[in-house]
Amino acid sequence: MSQTQTVQDAATDKGWEPRIATFLCNWCSYAGADLAGVSRIQYPHNIRIIRVPCSGRINPAFLLRALQNGADGVLVSGCHPGDCHYISGNLVARRKFALFKELLQYAGIEPERVQFTWVSASEGGRFAAVVEKVVEEVRKLGPNEKLVKTL
Amino acid sequence: MTPSHEIEARLRETAEELLREKRVDLFLGYEKATLPFRTTPLFLTSPEEVERLAWNPFCTTNLAVYLPRLFKAPASAREAERAPPLPTVAVVLKGCDARSAIALVQERQVPREKLVLVGVACPGMVDVRKAERALGEHEALGAGEDALGNIHVVVEDGREVTLPREEIVADACLECRAPTPSLPDVLVGEPVEGKDPDGARRQTDEFASKTLDDRWAHLQDELSKCIRCNACRQACPMCYCKECLLDQTRPRWVGTSTDMSDVTIYHLVRAFHMAGRCTECGACARACSMGIDTRLLTRKLGQEVEDLYGYRSGESADVLPALSAFDMDDAQDFLTEP
Amino acid sequence: MTEKRIPHTDLDGLLGRLRERGAVYAPARDDAGDVALTQAPLDDPMVLEYRNFRLSPKAFFLPQSQTLLTFCDGEAHEPSLPDGETFLVGVRPCDAKALLALDKVFLDGDPPDPYYARLRETTTVIALACTRPMSSCFCTSVGGGPGDGAGADVLAVGLEADLLLRAQTPKGEELLSSVADLLADATDDAVKEAEKRVGAAESLIAPVEVDNSAQRLRDGYDSPCWETASQTCLGCGTCSFLCPTCHCFDITDELRGTRGRRVRTWDCCAYPLFTLHGSGHNPRPSPKERWRQRIMHKFRYAVENLDRLFCVGCGRCIRNCPASMDLRTVLRELGA
Ligand code: SF4
Ligand code: SF4
Ligand code: FES
Repeated sequence: MSQTQTVQDAATDKGWEPRIATFLCNWCSYAGADLAGVSRIQYPHNIRIIRVPCSGRINPAFLLRALQNGADGVLVSGCHPGDCHYISGNLVARRKFALFKELLQYAGIEPERVQFTWVSASEGGRFAAVVEKVVEEVRKLGPNEKLVKTL
Repeated sequence: MTPSHEIEARLRETAEELLREKRVDLFLGYEKATLPFRTTPLFLTSPEEVERLAWNPFCTTNLAVYLPRLFKAPASAREAERAPPLPTVAVVLKGCDARSAIALVQERQVPREKLVLVGVACPGMVDVRKAERALGEHEALGAGEDALGNIHVVVEDGREVTLPREEIVADACLECRAPTPSLPDVLVGEPVEGKDPDGARRQTDEFASKTLDDRWAHLQDELSKCIRCNACRQACPMCYCKECLLDQTRPRWVGTSTDMSDVTIYHLVRAFHMAGRCTECGACARACSMGIDTRLLTRKLGQEVEDLYGYRSGESADVLPALSAFDMDDAQDFLTEP
Repeated sequence: MTEKRIPHTDLDGLLGRLRERGAVYAPARDDAGDVALTQAPLDDPMVLEYRNFRLSPKAFFLPQSQTLLTFCDGEAHEPSLPDGETFLVGVRPCDAKALLALDKVFLDGDPPDPYYARLRETTTVIALACTRPMSSCFCTSVGGGPGDGAGADVLAVGLEADLLLRAQTPKGEELLSSVADLLADATDDAVKEAEKRVGAAESLIAPVEVDNSAQRLRDGYDSPCWETASQTCLGCGTCSFLCPTCHCFDITDELRGTRGRRVRTWDCCAYPLFTLHGSGHNPRPSPKERWRQRIMHKFRYAVENLDRLFCVGCGRCIRNCPASMDLRTVLRELGA
């Protein structure tokens, strides 16, 4: 049994499982996730994938909205710099992401809640490893209580 | 420091000349308001009325906020046909306001060639709330400036009080790094130095040194006062979007209630949209009737943009704004690596 | 009408008695040094020296956000209405008077607004006459005054050593009789002193000409002054949100999956969204129409439809407008 599996079981006993809203760009990262699947690489099932055309399509409001609606963490992934299908979508996005992450941290929100990475279409293994890491970090933090809105 | 009345006289001359020679259609300046410690924006179109123009320690409004609406693009082709030609506008700007005007040019909201930037070297403007608080239960009936730049007040029982200027100047003015407008078409007044140009850094460093949870607690405490009136947004010269994300209803990104989650997200969104765009004028903080430190987050983001991308908004009309640009080598150490 | 007297030194005792009955909000200094209606701790003596609060007390009757309904899987639940008593002590006469305006909107309608009605029922207002009006005050021009008790249940007037308490409503009568052991009868001297103090305050207030405002505004609907005046308006909601009589609200459903709530929140005629139609058309497309609406509503429509000015002259909008606009200026220009 993998280490993740054990942690997951322990958490299930407590009745809480982190939910990670995961935004993947259509051209690289979504394909990378797909590859992880067809290659039968195991990764925790805590992610909920939302496909976007490009990491440049991400409006940070999406991420805030996910956290407000009860996601415990957010993961965003796009093509590696230089590989974006739209040439520079991820390069413009990179500046937004860097600043957004800094803003949240400065405002007192755990930086592990919102994570960014690049995954190419051929990196099924990298995708699984990133997901594993993110899920583990968010699990350590516990449920998102700061931005969530109780309805 | 050039005395206010001299600046006022120069402004009136300038306005008279520009309007009389029809070099501008509109001269945007300040006029005395009905209450002490305040001025109200003045839209001047006739050279006969320049006597209404005022310059005093209470010219707080960032007049750049009125520019985008004067140059608003017509909503439809039909409207465009009927639209009058674009006006030429002269506008009185302090150091920070001038940055806003240039930033608006950078973002193509106003055409540079239609503007006459009348810069005034700014000695720092009075914060109404600080001034009123300094008077305690007394109420000012009139306020002016003495030769040293301190604020001379007559209170309701006829007594006269002098408030030291630096004690009642707005926080943004204390931190200002460029009180003398750069790139004006006309500059009025002797150049002025910033009072505490490192103050902003000191404040962010201090806040950043608190623990994560203390920062959150402070922010929540501050924002719990928010009444969601939108004054911080409306007073900001850089908040000109035709439809603000915070107003969108399909979908509604941010709830309208005073639920702390909604309020916090309102402020995170507002602050984030100011990253690399805020010109540190403090209009948002002055507009907030609840006294919320709306600059807490915007201040930090401005510094972050400066550190990461070497950019400050409104410093040059020809540069691409930091968030519309990129560099292959931009820092990406914030990324998650497996 | 019962008139009583209580020494300043016994005020804390009075507040203590009220606290036994319910929540008590009294003037206290906050961290920033402003006096606000606060659910103050017992050991803080009540502050008597203040002009007026930054926020009007309307939020006690029309909360800024109010959940009207929660729903889950197709079933709706109405939250139970509050039943505890609340006492507001030290409300200024203008703000008390504003409640009569709100009553017109929320109680005289058919059906009346149950949420407002309940909060009005369970809340007792003890107003405190003003002795030091501000230069932004003009209550005397809009049917009120620094010693006017209309809208309050009890009106208090601060004297040298006492407070004169005057019951204004049956609820006020009941309140005074329930604490009768703490009160002394009002003497003629006390009544005279109160009159003198209120009169002195009145004389400090500069009048604004609002007579016949409805007719004059009807005539001035197309006046060019609206354009000029609204040029400076930033379109924020400071004036309405701080105004004790502004009461427009929005109702939104907040949904997550099959659960959610229906919430009522303050809204404001200065916002373009306030009148935006689903079609995209906006009948009040620019600050001119929106700003005109605010004045028209208060000084004309309310008079025509509800027989009452919807301005009590508290001056909050004048003091707090980020562009320092003053509605008195436009009223003067229009001769309204
Ligand atoms: S965010 Fe505040 S300080 Fe920055 S430009 Fe806008 S109004 Fe000025
Ligand atoms: S101006 Fe102040 S109260 Fe109004 S929305 Fe902004 S922070 Fe909130
Ligand atoms: S398409 Fe993948 S980041 Fe732009």
